[in-house]
Amino acid sequence: MRAMILKEFRELRRDRRTMAMLVIMPIVLLTIFGYAANFSVDEISTAVVGDSADAVESQLPDLFVPLDAADIPDESPEDLVRDNVADVVIDTSTTPPTAYLDGSSLFMAQTADAALGRLGPDAITIDILFNPDLETSAVMVPALIGLILTFIGTIITSIGLVKERQNGTIEQLAVMPLKPTDVIIGKIAPYFILASLDMVIITLLGVWIFDVPFNGSVWLFAAGGAIFLFVVLGLGVLISTASQTQAQAIQLAIMMLLPQVLLSGFIFPLESMPEAIAWIGRVLPLTYFVQISQGIMLRGADFSSLWLPFVVLIGMAVVIFTAAVLRFRRDLAPTRHSKKAGK
Amino acid sequence: MPSLLRADGVTRTFGSFTAVDDVSLTVEPGEVVGLLGANGAGKTTLIRMILGLLPPTSGDLELFGDAPSRAGRARLGYVPQGLGLWSSLTAVENLDFVDDTFGSGTSELPPELKPVANELVADLGLGHQRQLAFAAALGHGPELLVLDEPTSGVDPLSRSRLWDQIHDHADAGVGVLVTTHYMQEAQQCDRLVLMSRGRAVAAGTERDIIGDTVAYEVDSPHWQRTFDVLGSAGMLVTLSGTRVRVVDGSGRAVAAALEGAGVEHTVHEAHATLEEAMTARER
Repeated sequence: MRAMILKEFRELRRDRRTMAMLVIMPIVLLTIFGYAANFSVDEISTAVVGDSADAVESQLPDLFVPLDAADIPDESPEDLVRDNVADVVIDTSTTPPTAYLDGSSLFMAQTADAALGRLGPDAITIDILFNPDLETSAVMVPALIGLILTFIGTIITSIGLVKERQNGTIEQLAVMPLKPTDVIIGKIAPYFILASLDMVIITLLGVWIFDVPFNGSVWLFAAGGAIFLFVVLGLGVLISTASQTQAQAIQLAIMMLLPQVLLSGFIFPLESMPEAIAWIGRVLPLTYFVQISQGIMLRGADFSSLWLPFVVLIGMAVVIFTAAVLRFRRDLAPTRHSKKAGK
Repeated sequence: MPSLLRADGVTRTFGSFTAVDDVSLTVEPGEVVGLLGANGAGKTTLIRMILGLLPPTSGDLELFGDAPSRAGRARLGYVPQGLGLWSSLTAVENLDFVDDTFGSGTSELPPELKPVANELVADLGLGHQRQLAFAAALGHGPELLVLDEPTSGVDPLSRSRLWDQIHDHADAGVGVLVTTHYMQEAQQCDRLVLMSRGRAVAAGTERDIIGDTVAYEVDSPHWQRTFDVLGSAGMLVTLSGTRVRVVDGSGRAVAAALEGAGVEHTVHEAHATLEEAMTARER
């Protein structure tokens, strides 16, 4: 038995990825969880509009951080919330003033609802938009669509690609008269199609079973999903190029998946995290897909208010997918050959 | 007409290690060329360069008169040591994929594989898998066949059938480059190239490779003692049944060693085998 334990430790010591999962991951997870796992909202950006804005603003609790009047576009209060100008918009032209809350930001809306409720029903009317009953499922389902696509894109795709390497058939593909791009597109297209079908099925189930509203453009949602799929499929291909076995691919994919689950803002609000941890969240693709899916499904947001997450995801898709294709191509056609290699 | 394959002074280094060192070789239509060598001799690295999977560090490599390319690969059939089959596809699905890729129409499954046509490759025996790999490599009518240890792990009957197939194609004008370390297979080749530590150390027919390597056969009622005495004297000793053979030594030295140890014996010169010649060169 002693020999068996010793052999196991020796093998583990040389398996750097497993060692990283065993030693570094718990430390990283604990640190990130410790800082990120924070549901409390300390600041709520608030746009106060109407004639009595200054008077109402001065009576608001410190939790509500008012925007400068110059930064508030001339739109209806609902549109200001829909376009994410502020989390809360208080319209002082009504009596009593009406506070419009963004129900798609669950924890913020709950916090604002409680704080404003304490002012009394005569002081302010509260109107929660987009998710009036503050249903958790309404916020979670759009984000879960992204999480499931991430799962398929990274884990399933990387396993499928590594299988080819593990079985030695990638070399067979490389010696067939196929262009590297034929192989890459041929390998990825089925996963893209399956993940797209999954996206449709999950979205429909979310709408039918959990009554999640779908207020925005289906086409804009499909475009966001397609761009996000390119990002996660690219990640899957990248993982496969850095893995020799399916087990290695799964390890790497989990390392990619976990931070996205924790730091993309759909469980813990990014606004509640310390800035350094929130920045990790801001470089993760799921963060931007969650903004797009929640924005379109719940708020019915259009491209003019979602252009930023779209642009970031397109940038990520271009960079990650290009890197993935180049690395995959290197496996298939290591270098170009000239007739004379030189002597 | 250019050779199907021509390597001229091809070298491949990995850092300070030279895996293939200044190797030259040709394969002509209808010819079966055997690439011989122990494990680590550089055979697989050379094959990978020929297939275009690895660029040579230096030297000139031509496939069908040009640098290895996609167009060249369409005229080549390759059976890797690991067979390169998709184990979660059936035999027929594997052939279909290869046919589609090469645009070669529908290949006929060999008769032996028809009963298992719809079985997953993962469930097929090694003999069937090898036959399928051959069928896949031959389906598009290649002009050059590259076979890496084609009969490794196959029973003698199947091995003989596969060699019949190789010869049939060679007779039809296909050039074949085959790596092996089975000496019986080497004897099936028209021409041999012997590799050792990255270099092509001999080339030609089996007789050319054996060259002037001689063997001495020792008959003795005490063959075990004979073996020990000659081995201790630093000679390259092999056993053929209970007959002791000494490769590349001198008959006089053999006799002297045995007389010194008081072992009864008779020594006579014999033809060295290909394996003995290879071992002597490796030494």
